[in-house]
Amino acid sequence: MSIRLKENKARRILIANRGEIAARIAKACRELGHTAIGLWTDNEVHARHLEFCDEWAHLEGTGNTETYLNQDKIIKIAKELKVDAVHPGYGFLSENGGFAEALSNNDIIFIGPHIEAIKIMGDKATSKTLAKESGVPVVPGSADAVKSVAEAIKIAEEIGYPVLLKAVAGGGGRGMRACADENEIKEQFEAVGRESMAAFGNGDLLVEKLVLNPRHIEVQILADKHGNVFHFFERECSVQRRHQKIVEEAPSPFIGDDEELRQKICQTAVKLSKAVKYDSAGTVEFIMAEDKSFYFLEMNTRIQVEHPITEEITGMDLIVCMIQSALGEDLQIPSQDFITRSGHAIECRICAEDPITMLPAPGVVTGFETNFPQGIRFDNCLFKDLEVTPDFDPMVGKLIAKGVVRDVAIRKMESALEGLYIEGLKTNIPLHKIILANQNFRDGNYSTSFIGVEKPQEQITNNIDYTSFYMKLAGIEARRMGL
Amino acid sequence: MRTYLIDAEKNELIIDLTKTLVHSKELIEFEFSTLQDNEIVHRENIFVRKLAGRYFASNDQKNWVKLAPQNLPKKFLNVDRVFDIYRGFKPSGLSDGNDGELLTQMPGKVVKILVATGDEVVEGQTLVILEAMKMENEIKAGLDGVVKNIHVSVGDALDQGVLMLELE
Repeated sequence: MSIRLKENKARRILIANRGEIAARIAKACRELGHTAIGLWTDNEVHARHLEFCDEWAHLEGTGNTETYLNQDKIIKIAKELKVDAVHPGYGFLSENGGFAEALSNNDIIFIGPHIEAIKIMGDKATSKTLAKESGVPVVPGSADAVKSVAEAIKIAEEIGYPVLLKAVAGGGGRGMRACADENEIKEQFEAVGRESMAAFGNGDLLVEKLVLNPRHIEVQILADKHGNVFHFFERECSVQRRHQKIVEEAPSPFIGDDEELRQKICQTAVKLSKAVKYDSAGTVEFIMAEDKSFYFLEMNTRIQVEHPITEEITGMDLIVCMIQSALGEDLQIPSQDFITRSGHAIECRICAEDPITMLPAPGVVTGFETNFPQGIRFDNCLFKDLEVTPDFDPMVGKLIAKGVVRDVAIRKMESALEGLYIEGLKTNIPLHKIILANQNFRDGNYSTSFIGVEKPQEQITNNIDYTSFYMKLAGIEARRMGL
Repeated sequence: MRTYLIDAEKNELIIDLTKTLVHSKELIEFEFSTLQDNEIVHRENIFVRKLAGRYFASNDQKNWVKLAPQNLPKKFLNVDRVFDIYRGFKPSGLSDGNDGELLTQMPGKVVKILVATGDEVVEGQTLVILEAMKMENEIKAGLDGVVKNIHVSVGDALDQGVLMLELE
């Protein structure tokens, strides 16, 4: 006789996503006894994630805007299939308040936080204001545009040098200048103003504290509809390229053994989540300065790509909890004290991209095989003959290694990367190998400028590996000969 | 058997299977050499054995590497370069630099003959279409000239190294 803790009604859940996360969600739905409904599009007929779903539906179209970003089509399918809830995964419509609202107007549950939380946290200005009001530190600086050099210097002296002169309308690194002292502000103020005027049609400037060599540290939050908010410790995601994370780890090597700091940053995240009455899985992102002061960056109101490392160190299933929370069920977590961590986990994002230029490289997987050590988790949607199209994200899998301490996790990851064979298309596996071998990475001594400073891509040797070619050819010949 | 590996920038590697030694039912030894400007730049012997239905390869018979299951791959990867594989023939646009004799580089069936005796042809022009490995392969002229003799006809099943056509 099977024992169930609690009989919950079986629901129909539509997964409005693809790839590994769709497979991950489908598995969680099945575990909970719900029906997982997967989607396929015209440019991805052989979608691997469908294998894990109970029902399939056709989402017509090829491009992102026609398919997973198309609210109307997804809502139409959801209504036709009489689904109870929609899980958006990450990316696509996961942080779209309008989509959540449209679903709720049709009496369909959006598996994510309430609409108000998505809207407040989705806007840089309102999220910062809320953070300030709740006593969460934000990067110090002027609240509004500064009018003169004198005012800029006055503020800079209050917050301390170095500071950043930043265009109000700026973005993407333009209209920004670092100033180390008073004289530099005097020199730069007008120039940055002119530059911003020319680039954005708005010459207004802000003065903000410049955080040198920042660390990207984020706290995993899980909350239910009954007002309980839990944190699942932090993750460090400082290895980034083009503002996208490629290697993540938990716990943060920068926080290390500093339990006081860990508690402080985690409680700050809980405080902010409570302020917005958060009721789902989410992540509060911070930057941490060299002196270990930290500032709120943004809150992601969805499940994140790197959630498995938190699952590995806490032993919790975040996707399952997220579904339970959205359905108003009990998370079965008696208190924060029941969430403990052990060991260290690292994640490498495996992308179909050129390891040296780091540009996406679509192609067809002609061979796929794994040979991993104990303690490896590989969330993926890879299979032989998979076609990686330019339409979707080039990430094909997430390799997660867990060890009792960080060194062990690194060792296991190195071994796993050696045992991951993906034939036929370029991947960033060689880049990951170089990053893991980097002394500063091994020492845990790296910031968000790691890729820019260490340039691991330049250390990749791309000499022709004759032996590997010969072995592949020998395999073909042997098969032809009927060995 | 000759294999051409050609990447997106048209860089090419020519690998010849120069020797095959069947040691036993389970073990075969292959000798491969890589050619550059008709000079051998690399030569190595590879052993292949089958264990539990899987192929394992080694160059020293000590360390065995499990080969990823792939029947007839069309691409090989080397860090940041993806090579297209052409077994036994060179793809269109790249001349083989052979003399007037056109030999089959692989067993195949003649699907079409596009020229007749006495025709003038230019380098790179398709002369014969040969079906091999379930693919149609265009056999191209390696030089400018006149078709002197055609030794095959449509439908012929040919072995490797058969003279198909002579140019002058």
